[in-house]
Amino acid sequence: MTEFKLPELGENIDQGDLVRLMVSLGASVTEGQPVMELETDKAVVEVPSSVSGTVKEIRVKEGQKVKVGQVIFTVENGTGAKVKAVEPKTPAAKAPEEKPAPVAKAPSPPVTEARPVPASPPAVSTGATDFRLPELGENIDQGDLVRLMISPGSRVSEGQPVMELETDKAVVEVPSSVTGTVKEIKVKEGEKVKVGQVIFTLEGGASAPERAKHAPVEHISEQHEARLSLQAAIQAEGKTAAQVFLPDQPPPLAPTAFAMPEQLGKVAGTEHRAPAPAAPHVRRLAREIGVDIYEVKGTGPGGRISEDDVKAFAKSLLTSAAAAGAAQGRQFAQPELPDFTKFGKVERVSMRGVRRKTAQHLWEAWTTIPHVTQQDKADITELEQLRARFAPKAQEAGGKMTVTAIALKVCASALKVFPQFNASIDMSKEEIIYKQYINIGVAVDTDRGLLVPVLHEVDKKNIVELAAELTQLSKKARDKKLLPSEMEGGTFTITNLGGVGGTGFSPIVNFPEVAILGLSRSSMEPVWMNGKFEPRQVLPLSLSYDHRLIDGADAARFLRWIAEAFEQPFLLSVQG
Amino acid sequence: MTETSNLHIAVVGGGPGGYAAAFLAADLGLRVTLIDPEANPGGVCLYRGCIPSKALLHVAKLIDESRHAKNWGIEYADPKIDLARLRSWKEGVVKKLTGGLGILSKQRKIEYIQGRAAFENSNTLRISKTSGGDESLTFDRIILATGSRPAIIPSLKLDTPRVMDSTSALDLNEVPGTLLVIGGGYIGLELGTVYAALGSKVSVVEMLPGLLPGADRDLVLPLHKRMEKSFASILLNTTVAAMKEEPNGIRVTLDGPEVMEREQVFEKVLVSVGRKPNSEIPGLEKTRVQIGPRGFIQVNKQLQTSDPAIYAIGDVVGEPMLAHKASHEGRTAVEAIAGHKVAFEPAAIPAVVFTDPEIAWCGLTETQAQKENHEIKVARFPWAASGRAMTVDRTEGMTKLIFDPQTERVLGVGIVGAGAGDLIAEGVLAVEMAALAKDIALTIHPHPTLSETVMEAAEVFFGTSTHIYRPKKS
Ligand SMILES: Cc1cc2nc3c(=O)[nH]c(=O)nc-3n(C[C@H](O)[C@H](O)[C@H](O)COP(=O)(O)OP(=O)(O)OC[C@H]3O[C@@H](n4cnc5c(N)ncnc54)[C@H](O)[C@@H]3O)c2cc1C
Repeated sequence: MTEFKLPELGENIDQGDLVRLMVSLGASVTEGQPVMELETDKAVVEVPSSVSGTVKEIRVKEGQKVKVGQVIFTVENGTGAKVKAVEPKTPAAKAPEEKPAPVAKAPSPPVTEARPVPASPPAVSTGATDFRLPELGENIDQGDLVRLMISPGSRVSEGQPVMELETDKAVVEVPSSVTGTVKEIKVKEGEKVKVGQVIFTLEGGASAPERAKHAPVEHISEQHEARLSLQAAIQAEGKTAAQVFLPDQPPPLAPTAFAMPEQLGKVAGTEHRAPAPAAPHVRRLAREIGVDIYEVKGTGPGGRISEDDVKAFAKSLLTSAAAAGAAQGRQFAQPELPDFTKFGKVERVSMRGVRRKTAQHLWEAWTTIPHVTQQDKADITELEQLRARFAPKAQEAGGKMTVTAIALKVCASALKVFPQFNASIDMSKEEIIYKQYINIGVAVDTDRGLLVPVLHEVDKKNIVELAAELTQLSKKARDKKLLPSEMEGGTFTITNLGGVGGTGFSPIVNFPEVAILGLSRSSMEPVWMNGKFEPRQVLPLSLSYDHRLIDGADAARFLRWIAEAFEQPFLLSVQG
Repeated sequence: MTETSNLHIAVVGGGPGGYAAAFLAADLGLRVTLIDPEANPGGVCLYRGCIPSKALLHVAKLIDESRHAKNWGIEYADPKIDLARLRSWKEGVVKKLTGGLGILSKQRKIEYIQGRAAFENSNTLRISKTSGGDESLTFDRIILATGSRPAIIPSLKLDTPRVMDSTSALDLNEVPGTLLVIGGGYIGLELGTVYAALGSKVSVVEMLPGLLPGADRDLVLPLHKRMEKSFASILLNTTVAAMKEEPNGIRVTLDGPEVMEREQVFEKVLVSVGRKPNSEIPGLEKTRVQIGPRGFIQVNKQLQTSDPAIYAIGDVVGEPMLAHKASHEGRTAVEAIAGHKVAFEPAAIPAVVFTDPEIAWCGLTETQAQKENHEIKVARFPWAASGRAMTVDRTEGMTKLIFDPQTERVLGVGIVGAGAGDLIAEGVLAVEMAALAKDIALTIHPHPTLSETVMEAAEVFFGTSTHIYRPKKS
């Protein structure tokens, strides 16, 4: 393997910001070919490669600072040439002076080297002995590993949740698809993992690419041996294997050791790692904002990590993420911010997961869709009676008969009558896409942010079924069990802020849908009826819609239709 | 984080893990039910562990010092020991503390159920109440804090009051003329110290080559020396082959190179060979909770078991089986349940052996460093050079700091000597804060106190300790 390192760029320049990478994994590069754009203090420069071969590994990310001498990428089957300065086409300044190294060992870099790469082969799948991150849903190819629920040596069985993953859409528990004893865990909490990436291997698996030197090999075998002998001893007493793992007594020797582990900082079950040089509150801060403290470089004496170090690291993550976003043309076009620290203390926290996705999604929706919000009110006095009537049935089915559940049914009926509300716009083709199915999303407020589980074929289900399904999906959302696939395919959205309060609001349309219905808190109001004011329960409705597709009068009619459906629950009950 | 506050959690077990968890959960606004067989929270630690043993050790120390006072020109008559009064004082301490916890629990509006819990499923407990009757209750989350109990050696099990475990030893029914302590761990040595001070001839047998396995040898040595005087004998590398009850005691057969008399009769025997986690909770098999090889419930860094609704803390999840570890875990578990991003990841958990002298340590030990090929630098300050140690006539102590030679960071601290248990707190803070040798050396410590030994040990690291002269290497 040959490494391409950032060459000298000129006097007094020892680093730069990586603006753009012009190579990707698997691409072939030849010496002299520009491979990156770097912004230094002085200028933006294109940096040519000094090596040829197939790009095997890229060690830097756009938006990162890279230093002279830092490895940018490695190539396979490649040749490297010593490069002195930025001059692109200088042919290898030195003739090859070293024979191909026979052993896989990091080559001393600036020496020409030509040899096949015997280094660790990419971990080859060995069938059922590896557990790889399965597909999680459309457009989701990776996630942040929030929590691992297994450790080396633990038993896993198919279906057992083994990790918690935070994707752009939600936090999901991922179940194992394999059964056995965990041998090696290939990922760390806080890391990004990709679909298809090996998460762990099982005991007896043939895949063991190359054990890290410090792996506690002896330790494991020692433990294993102890367990085996214990097992044998207990089986000799005629006990079952299950009891072996629930030993009824310490090993049947005479006085056993007083059992305090030698290093009390190391607790059974936690991995062996020297404690990071950071005060407890700094370690906690890191955990809270999702930074792996071991990745932070401390600037204090003895490498001590301060609160500021953690924040600076989080900020660098944020900027590199933003730069990566910019590269994809998705950066928020945001005017520059003032320096808030001039006015007081601030804290910068990396925007991750659901929040990041929500921010981007709503910004897209808001900048794409010309929004108008139509307000109306529905008299739900009679509906409340219907709700009471259906409540026991819904409860039986495991659901709660809420206004939202009824609104699902109402909206499904309305969408059938007004198909332009169940549509999307394709501006590039100048077409309207009418959907022949009615799937309604319901916004659920969770401690991770707003999630929108989708109920499918709402028009084909009755209120009791919808209530049960909604209850179940909301619970899943709050318990972080919602799968990304359960948030896909919506054609219309309902958002109910009635639980919190308020008399009306302007919801933002859930792009690429074209309308969203907001419900506020119902209240008793005097309503002029039969020649006098009567106290009636009134529900405020707010419909935001995409004015490109929907005219104001249509929206008013659509919303009136919904209000009247609420007011005449009889119709609904007939529809089931 | 609004909806987490609606959570109803159950805490099973009212020890230092369980009650710390329950109290914090209530403080964070969760609904809490705490279940324990005793009338009040407290668990092993308060009823039959840390607290009663420390009360008795205080008395032991007083007796010892009064004898020692002869050397300073003060002579007391031999103490008259009113065992009933001593017992009731000790029980009074326990009552006051556990009663106080009962009040704190009420003030926090925690539902306290006196009884035992079993699982019906991951979220439902069947509680058989001490007052009679069963009740099934369902919870959003359940924290298991069921603690541990003394381990027994089946082959040596004798059903007689002459064979005690730590619990019956703390009951202090009588002071036997001779006592054999099986197991040279901290519980055996602490209780042996109590009985020796009260007048028993105490012998200790330990299977391994040293007392307090796991602790650094240089810390154990001063204690060992002193115990050789206060105890009748300490037999290392020795096992108990058999025990038989006889009219005037237990006949014990000992095996080992140091054994002179293979068979000896002791009036009483204390078996202190470790503790076993209480993980056999009825119905646990109906949940997804997994139990590891030594019987500990398996948890992740959030103290969550493999059943997402169930957390476990304290002795039942693993070593070190210590009250302060249990409490910290309890608080971490509750914070995790309340939705905070937390983990149990201390840099150091202190351990204290309340013998005389005391031994305390935290963080990395020399033994561990050697085993793992950790490069370290050790600085020792002998208490013979401490003015304070001299004034209390306890110069056998030693304070040592273990450093990373590159960064000069404190990785571990070990102390042996009077009051080591209180002194170690500074060491724990130093390790947690990633303090450097310079930090400790440059911190002014009050004179004359034993805490100066910590500062001077840091000075030893630089070869500039005020009270130690080290000739220059040239
Ligand atoms: C003699 C002795 C001295 C000690 N000295 C010290 C010391 O100086 N310092 C120190 O840190 N530690 C000391 N310890 C250890 C300390 O007592 C334990 O580490 C600590 O009590 C563990 O707390 P815990 O909360 O895990 O469980 P415990 O304190 O063991 O409490 C568990 C509770 O759960 C209850 N329980 C069990 N099963 C159920 C069930 N199914 N339903 C309801 N309730 C249940 C038990 O009855 C018990 O009350 C000592 C222990 C002993 C025996």
